[in-house]
Amino acid sequence: MIEIEHVAKQFVTPKTGGRRSASQPAAQRVVKAVRDVSIRAPDAHITGLLGPNGAGKTTTLRMLAALITPDAGRLSVDGIDVVSRPREALARMGVLSDARGLYPRLSARENIVYFGALHGMQRDAAHARAESLARMLEMTALLDRRTEGFSQGERMKTALARALVHDPPNIVLDEPTNGLDVIATRALRDALRWLRTPEGGGKCIVFSTHIMQEVERLCDSVVVVSQGRAVAQGTVHELLAQTGEQDFEEAFVKLAFANESARGRPEAA
Amino acid sequence: MTMSLLRSALTVFRKEIVDALRDRRTLVVVLVSSVLLGPLVLLAISALVASFEERAERREVYVAGLEHAPDLQNYFERQTYTVRPAPADFEAMLRASTFADPVVVVPKDYQWALLHGEAPVIEVVSDSANRQAESGSGRIQRLLQGYSRERALLALASRGVSAELLEPMRIQERDLASAQTRATQITGMLPFFVLIAVLYGALNAALDTTAGERERGSLEPLLMNPAQRAALVLGKWAAVACLSMLIAVLSCFSFLPGQWLLRTDTLQAMFQFGLREALLFLAVLLPLAAALSAVLMAVAIRCKSFKEAQANSTVVVLGVSLLPLVTLFNPSGEAAWHLWVPALAQNTLMTRVLKGEELSALQVLVPLLVCVLLSAGGVALVARGLRAAALK
Repeated sequence: MIEIEHVAKQFVTPKTGGRRSASQPAAQRVVKAVRDVSIRAPDAHITGLLGPNGAGKTTTLRMLAALITPDAGRLSVDGIDVVSRPREALARMGVLSDARGLYPRLSARENIVYFGALHGMQRDAAHARAESLARMLEMTALLDRRTEGFSQGERMKTALARALVHDPPNIVLDEPTNGLDVIATRALRDALRWLRTPEGGGKCIVFSTHIMQEVERLCDSVVVVSQGRAVAQGTVHELLAQTGEQDFEEAFVKLAFANESARGRPEAA
Repeated sequence: MTMSLLRSALTVFRKEIVDALRDRRTLVVVLVSSVLLGPLVLLAISALVASFEERAERREVYVAGLEHAPDLQNYFERQTYTVRPAPADFEAMLRASTFADPVVVVPKDYQWALLHGEAPVIEVVSDSANRQAESGSGRIQRLLQGYSRERALLALASRGVSAELLEPMRIQERDLASAQTRATQITGMLPFFVLIAVLYGALNAALDTTAGERERGSLEPLLMNPAQRAALVLGKWAAVACLSMLIAVLSCFSFLPGQWLLRTDTLQAMFQFGLREALLFLAVLLPLAAALSAVLMAVAIRCKSFKEAQANSTVVVLGVSLLPLVTLFNPSGEAAWHLWVPALAQNTLMTRVLKGEELSALQVLVPLLVCVLLSAGGVALVARGLRAAALK
């Protein structure tokens, strides 16, 4: 269970702005990456974070992973406040961030077991877990190869296994399908669906994306994020009904961009 | 709390050591360039000294125009020298350093001048750019002066004058330097090699665990573990310091077998580097290894890529290579402040060890304190820079 309530974050350096908030005037030194985002992601549920590039998805997820401290709002994981007890919150989360670098001189197994050990797992348990994750992600053959020269899909699988090594009840994925081919994307979707089921552990899964089809095919509910705000939340059907559209892409464009004028001018920074 | 910190730090330490040891190519380069270089230089010096000694022992003298001076040949042979005719183009050969002995040139009118009481000129031809020939030149000149004096003494004796009159005073040299001090003229660069070895032992691992981790994008996932940041930094620093110390140990102990390979007894007697010296070297170097690791990591954590970190760490590399030179440019010798400057202090202390001098407690403690402060400062900077580094 992940709860994010009205978080906000601004950056003062001009350099970091471009990536997180494209709409701000160039001269502005203060970049409001996240203005007001609230997400409630229950267990055994896949929650999609849908938004255009620079909407504030990555910043929100980085706040959730305790890498950045929010300026306002509250984030909690299974009732544990992320800001005041970051290590306990991280212990209950598996995060696949957009940076998913592996150690090229270590094998996939060693990469996974290393993170398991940092989560406080015993070696044997971490090895056993690496093997069962490898079976689930269909990467058993890769397990004892050095990750140097892995393909994008193989890297993603290793990074995902590394993030899930401690069997966390909450899973956070930042654009997990970036750079993956169809087969790898389908394999990832299957893995996430299974993790949602009671046999898979009934995980609370949050993932961000800018791809409509992914949300339509996978998510139980969607949070649409635009210009640092959560502008709509609900199932795909609810959002279609809300906008009166047949096509989800049209609905998304309406929600993400058209709502801007209805909402009034963004506050001056 | 501290248990989990130690456990995490140990996990990080173990992983970084494995990671670094698998980087075979870098490891081989460091081992060859740092650890083998010292003994190799030692060997080269030994071969050079040996060739000088061998030349002196051979007792040969090359003479051009020997047929004009049978008495000179007789004298050389009485001094147990072998007299050999000089090659025809000896001047060109000396210039080109293809001939390694000075040549005595006897003029055609040698006998005639001698009989008529006119001092003939005997040349000792050498080339000051030809070091081997030059080193033998003094010996040949002394030999010729000996003959000159012998003739003078004979002439005086035949006139009934005592030879004592010719030497109203005697000159004797007394060298204050001990055998070991003399040896430091030759072995003085050894501390420098060891310092560089320690530096290069730390360099690659320090950059790889900080800037390298950023470049690969593995720092952000690493920080999303519940392990304490202090544990990550301490584990990494300990691993880098350990590698550097390992290189220091290998480098110091490589001089022990290197010493057996010394070909000349003179050098062997002068260069006394035993277990005691090796251990003293290590006592001086190990704290420096820890401090350099921390400083290099603190520099590298600010850099986005390995390449950028390499460029920035050049300052540290240059500092460690150039600071020991202060002693060269400072004719007043050792100053108290030298002990407060890292690298310079270690160089000074190691030179003392090679000279066979004792190290006082203060001399060991001051650099140790400096190293502890540098390590603590470096580690603190890395810990502070870690999170900011992960995000950019």
